[in-house]
Amino acid sequence: MVIDKGDGPAGGGAGASPAGGGLYSDQHLRVSDTEREAATGRLAEHFAAGRLDQAEFDDRVGRAMSARTRADLNGLFADLPETGSPAVPELPRGGGSTPGGGPRGPGSPIEFRLDAASGVPTYLQLVQQVEHALRLGYLTLGDQLPKVRDVVASLAINPNTVLKAYKELETKGLTAGRPGQGTFIQATLGQVALPELAGLHKSLLGWLTTAEAAGLDEDGIVALFASALRDFYKRRSGTGERRAARSGEAEGVA
Amino acid sequence: MNVNIIETSGLGKRYGSTWVLRECSLAVPAGHVAALVGPNGAGKTTLLNLAVGLAAPTAGTVTVLGGLAAGSPAALDGIAFVAQDTPLYKNLSAAGMLHLTRNLNRRFDQPYAKARLGELGIPLNRRAGKLSGGQQAQLALTLALARRPRLLVLDEPVAMLDPLARHDFMALVLTAAADDGVSVLLSSHVLAELERVADYLILLSRGRVQVAGEVDDLIASHRVLTGPAAEADRYTERPLVHARRADAQAHLLVRATADDPVPPRWEAHPVGLEELAMAYLREPGAGALPGPARPAAGTSTRQR
Amino acid sequence: MTALTMPGRPAHDARLRPVPWRRMAWVTWRQHRAALGGVAAFLGAFAVYLWLTGLRMHHAEAAYCHPAGSLGCAINFTGRYGETAIIVSIALQAVPALIGAFAGAPVLARELETGTFRYAWTQGIGRLRWTAGKLVPLAVAVTAVAGAFTVLFAWYNQPWAGAGYVTPFSARVFDLLGIAFGAWTLAAFAIGALAGMLIRRAVPAIAASLAAYAGLAFATALWLREHYITPLVTHSTNLPGSAWIISHWYTKDGKLVSQSAIRNILQGYDIHHPAPATRVGPNTSQTMILNPVGYLTKHGYTHWISYQPGSRFWPFQWIEGGWLLALSVLLIAATVWLVRRRAA
Repeated sequence: MVIDKGDGPAGGGAGASPAGGGLYSDQHLRVSDTEREAATGRLAEHFAAGRLDQAEFDDRVGRAMSARTRADLNGLFADLPETGSPAVPELPRGGGSTPGGGPRGPGSPIEFRLDAASGVPTYLQLVQQVEHALRLGYLTLGDQLPKVRDVVASLAINPNTVLKAYKELETKGLTAGRPGQGTFIQATLGQVALPELAGLHKSLLGWLTTAEAAGLDEDGIVALFASALRDFYKRRSGTGERRAARSGEAEGVA
Repeated sequence: MNVNIIETSGLGKRYGSTWVLRECSLAVPAGHVAALVGPNGAGKTTLLNLAVGLAAPTAGTVTVLGGLAAGSPAALDGIAFVAQDTPLYKNLSAAGMLHLTRNLNRRFDQPYAKARLGELGIPLNRRAGKLSGGQQAQLALTLALARRPRLLVLDEPVAMLDPLARHDFMALVLTAAADDGVSVLLSSHVLAELERVADYLILLSRGRVQVAGEVDDLIASHRVLTGPAAEADRYTERPLVHARRADAQAHLLVRATADDPVPPRWEAHPVGLEELAMAYLREPGAGALPGPARPAAGTSTRQR
Repeated sequence: MTALTMPGRPAHDARLRPVPWRRMAWVTWRQHRAALGGVAAFLGAFAVYLWLTGLRMHHAEAAYCHPAGSLGCAINFTGRYGETAIIVSIALQAVPALIGAFAGAPVLARELETGTFRYAWTQGIGRLRWTAGKLVPLAVAVTAVAGAFTVLFAWYNQPWAGAGYVTPFSARVFDLLGIAFGAWTLAAFAIGALAGMLIRRAVPAIAASLAAYAGLAFATALWLREHYITPLVTHSTNLPGSAWIISHWYTKDGKLVSQSAIRNILQGYDIHHPAPATRVGPNTSQTMILNPVGYLTKHGYTHWISYQPGSRFWPFQWIEGGWLLALSVLLIAATVWLVRRRAA
């Protein structure tokens, strides 16, 4: 995918709004649930950044969930700066621009890239890129994933790898294949328990402070976290996500 | 369709008094891109020649496309071969080669070939000998694919190509695999790029099949355990393929899955295809082969 | 996982119709048109020469050589064109060898040398049909062209043959006439093809073909040909010019007299009894040539000649053509068999 970690997508934050109108244009228009949830997500980021305290956060989330027009939503952000990386797409289709900057034409909105040296299996890279695109708003509901053939032609990878990645996404419930047409997004990420997400973020920051105080540097923290992550998933029973593809009869190693 | 695209049983080939290939038993399922890997002189070209009917076995049998005798008219019809150094008639133009191939085969998709050559920017009226190495390889590949084969066999196809030409070549091969379900068997002694291209691995070492299996299975059934060197010798829980040691630390490549327990103070990592292949190549006595020659419902790996 | 499907391509025919022969004919033409063109140009140049010279020869012969043996004939016909005709017929001996070597040897040798056999023999047509589809049409083509050329040469040679200057059995012209020229060309092609398959390099194969052909041609001309039919034996001295004299010997009282004994006798004749009427020139060997037979016969020796009568020309042609054809078929069959057997 054509994104760099940490930077906002080009043309993202400011592109949507006409001058002075706040983040959402057409102030009198009614808002959908998706937009309310999007606003909630942005509030969570501000909360995690420390601009809002718990009470203010709860209050504004409540107002966001009961907002009726775009003006209502905009009012919640009047005293908050633009965030660097929006957690969810700012607008559903039909409004301003997409994070990618252009109108959505035929074909897939995203392109895959391959990091051959990363050590991550190819199919997993594709899965992660789709999930990442969903989180960052490059893909939304109904978008089509690149055709298998096109991925193969541009990356020169095995078609079975692409199929495996797409199957994994389907297993996760994120996509659905339509015969003869392609694979389409049918769910989005990061919509579950956004307030909890904010809480997790905050507790993680606390842990990080402790770890740093104990003397770990960034790489040490990453290594420790990776190890704990592995241990955590290993303890889950039987069919972990990583082993979904293996046939059940494999007796392991003689 | 559970067909074996190439199946060999005890296959052996002797030139003079040297056995170039011995006791090779393989069953490669269709619908895969199979990589035949091994050091120079391991017998890769010989195996491919036997599969396409350019050579006859000294011992054992080889069948293709689900039971056809290698080299039989039906096999020749369904297999397209691009030999090492992509042989072409240097004095013929690309268009001439197209006509030639059309007249030597039952089935030839001329519009496809012309379209592909157009996309690749290969002029039709230039003599094949005057094309660049990459263009010659692309021409040979296009001719092969235009025959609409069920199996495409490539002998070290990218050895002489620069990285860009390599990428374009493999993109064409893999697109054909994606579009038409062509199975591919290609040989290479460059491991690094095979990982994203191949989903079936055959490792040939000194004329014998050392490793054969689906890449996913192979990767899932091997781990590298990293731990204290002092304990490395006492490790017996899982079969060991290859060990690398220093004073304090050792890496053991073992036949284990992610479920298998890791000794305390040891770490387990997944293995990449290149590392796995290299380890086996360093340990000629080790092997990782599937069970019987016929594809069973589930395959088990057992040590030879 | 076999996630790739085999989409709607027709399942391969259980009975595969083979690739039609006319397709292979195009392939042979396209790949060997240069060689065939070369042969045509080569023979064409010769043909033009024969035509032009032949016209003049015919003209001279008609003008000066009736009656034959006149001085005008000697000056304007035999003297002017005799040597040329001999040289031409010797030069033409090489033509089948060259055609066979250059048209036949590279067919397989080039494929093996450049590695293109790895392409050609893995195409749908299969290596046997491919080989046959090349060798047979090329063989027929070179033979036909050579056969046509024979007609021209026979016309060219006619003033000489008709007047008896050269017997058609002569080694110089026998294999340029009748069906022999075509048969020799075919044999040379077959030798070339087999050499190409055995040696696998074009240039050495060409050289080997030329050498093998030369050996065969010399062996036939010098030894084999005279034994096709048992020669007739006579002691008549009156043989027509068209007869092919193979050998002669003397017997006395039913016993063969050795050549050395004959020589001694003739030497004695010369020294002790020079017969004035027989002496023409100062050269004593000239004396012996003029009538040793007469002398020996007078002294009780019987002179025998074995020969082939001129009427046997065509039977000999058929015999020679026949065995050359058989040899060619054998060599081409051997070539095809080698193609079938050869491992890469």
